[in-house]
Amino acid sequence: MQLRKFVIGLLICISASAKAQLSGGLESNAAFYIDDAKIKLEQIEARQRIRSNNYLRLNYKLKNFTAGVQVESYEPKALLNYSPRLNKTNFGNYYLKYKNDKLRLETTLGHFYEQFGNGLVLRTWEDRQLGIANSIAGVRVKYAPLEAINFTALYGKQRNGLGFDFTEGTITGLNADVQLSSLLKIKKSKFGIGLSYVNRNQQKQVYESLNKNTFVTSLRGDFNLGGFTADAEYAFKSKEALVEFNTVRPSFQFDGDAYLLNLGYAKNGFGLSANFRRLENFGFYSQTQLAGNVYNQAILNYLPALTKQYDYSLTNIYVYAAQPNLSFEPSRNKAGEIGVQLGLFYQFKKETPLGGKYGTYVALNYAQWYGLKGKYDAAQRKYAANKFAFGQKYYHDASVEVRKKWNKKSSSVFTYLNQFYNARYVEEATGQVNTNTVVFDNTLRLKNSKSIRLELQHQWANAGFKNWVAAQVEYNFNSTWSLFTQDLYNYGNTDTAQKLHYYNMGTTFNKGAYQVQTSYGRQRGGLICVGGVCRFVPQSAGFNVSLNYSF
Amino acid sequence: MSKIFTVTLLLLITHFGAKAQVVPNIKLSTLNGESFDSQQLNQITAKPVVLLFWATWCVPCLNELTAINDSLDDWKNETKFDLYAISEDDSRTTKRVPALVNGKGWKFNVLLDNNQDFKRELNFSNIPYTIVLKNGKIIYRHAGYVAGNENELFKIIKENQ
Repeated sequence: MQLRKFVIGLLICISASAKAQLSGGLESNAAFYIDDAKIKLEQIEARQRIRSNNYLRLNYKLKNFTAGVQVESYEPKALLNYSPRLNKTNFGNYYLKYKNDKLRLETTLGHFYEQFGNGLVLRTWEDRQLGIANSIAGVRVKYAPLEAINFTALYGKQRNGLGFDFTEGTITGLNADVQLSSLLKIKKSKFGIGLSYVNRNQQKQVYESLNKNTFVTSLRGDFNLGGFTADAEYAFKSKEALVEFNTVRPSFQFDGDAYLLNLGYAKNGFGLSANFRRLENFGFYSQTQLAGNVYNQAILNYLPALTKQYDYSLTNIYVYAAQPNLSFEPSRNKAGEIGVQLGLFYQFKKETPLGGKYGTYVALNYAQWYGLKGKYDAAQRKYAANKFAFGQKYYHDASVEVRKKWNKKSSSVFTYLNQFYNARYVEEATGQVNTNTVVFDNTLRLKNSKSIRLELQHQWANAGFKNWVAAQVEYNFNSTWSLFTQDLYNYGNTDTAQKLHYYNMGTTFNKGAYQVQTSYGRQRGGLICVGGVCRFVPQSAGFNVSLNYSF
Repeated sequence: MSKIFTVTLLLLITHFGAKAQVVPNIKLSTLNGESFDSQQLNQITAKPVVLLFWATWCVPCLNELTAINDSLDDWKNETKFDLYAISEDDSRTTKRVPALVNGKGWKFNVLLDNNQDFKRELNFSNIPYTIVLKNGKIIYRHAGYVAGNENELFKIIKENQ
């Protein structure tokens, strides 16, 4: 009923005012799961074979005011392995915002997305593929007394499911960013500092003895001179109870901290970036019991894996996810992670031996991550981690990407990736995997804006799923229509029943603000990861349709 | 509930979908950390403004920006337009943006959309995504990129001189 009233009200508003602006977007992802000879839905899931996730977003702007709403509809049921809280049709979020540029003031009532600094202490965002939409509902004020000084204050509850479904904690957040160089009227270099504080107050704790408040706070600075950039952040989390398998253990309480350092250097034709990070017990959730939950609910901070994010199917089989949390198991103790990443980008100029007629682009990346070295006592739930020493190795990747245009018609991207993946620690499964993957991605331009793309991939792995081979062909008729077909074949799998072909074929239609994709085939099971945050999906077969429209 | 959803949707698409929109007012930042108000884009009136939404990890986006960078000198000789490549990288990869942009020697402006606020207000989900503005109004939107799409974009630029 509420929804009906709201929609009618909104339509009246729209027709009443000519000066106002209405904008919005619709996304709809639907699947019809079928059982084929090899891939079958689990019995409990098979009751509902047709499913869809739908999102309708509307913004209504009049002068300094904007009102917005997102209605979400998971009908008759959400796609496989989304949180059970995402069910039926209801409001996802709703807000009213007042923004006055002259006063440098912005106030939001209702749901908002926010990030403080690098997101170590607070980030709320939406990722529909991952089922993350962890906005905070309450009030937020942003105020800049001077151009170079920005304050944010917020207060509210975090979204959990739909409608008025929030997690138990109440969140208070304060942030200040100051551009010192511009206050001091320094032109040659730029530098500034930032301070953040976020508190979670949970009145209804599982145990009386637990602290009702847990806070995180951070201090950061950044510096920029010519092509050189540096920024560093230190963050601290106050004591909270250990959570093991969704159970709160009140007698074991730990604090945590995080160090982050980013360095970069860039000039025309050359770029270098380096990251260092150490996390110790730094996961932060808006409800104690939800720490480490599989649906990524109640996440308050953003701790992405600092590794390169790859876009090809076989390079996404062993994906590292950051390991910020504590876990005690006699042979698998974890207190956090420490590691580095280096990235280099280089252009061999045109008309040089390696550059050829059009230039050659090279990107190198190296990342390695370890557990925290220290003394662990799993039985007593005690540990002492060294500050800057590498413990058990969790992951490494080393990659080369070469991008080359051969002539006016054809171009290629070649990627080589070497990985070490310690499944025992990263997934809390068993074993370690070493892989080598090559990808050869070729585009050929034909007459009248037509083109063909051919992608060939192979992965050698000494364990896990063992070897894979994959191919994809895409034919683009024009900017509107494309056809594609692909196959991923796990020919090396030692379990013959798992030696499967994951074939897929489909069409894409892109016209103006409309995008429609249809496909038929099999989806590989495993982790879907965006920005180092992952969601597990079981393998499936069937038809998929997705539609996007925005205005 | 779902009936209301459908009816509203149809109403919106048929009645209001056609109306040209202006760009929302969001704070973006430049590669050297200065803030850039998206309102500035609405104030460029003499020529079309192309916004290309991309990220460092998105292969089709890099294909698109590389192709456009290769044609940029020819396009600029024939027409007048401004081009902004807006990065949707989040804090996992945003520090890589300046290194990548310089490593590739891109000759157009690059902006950062830090927590994807701009993308959210423009109501689209997937990148690559292209928007063309003229006189502060959105006149063209296109989702996705395949080789050859840049020809259509150039056609739109030429038509709006």
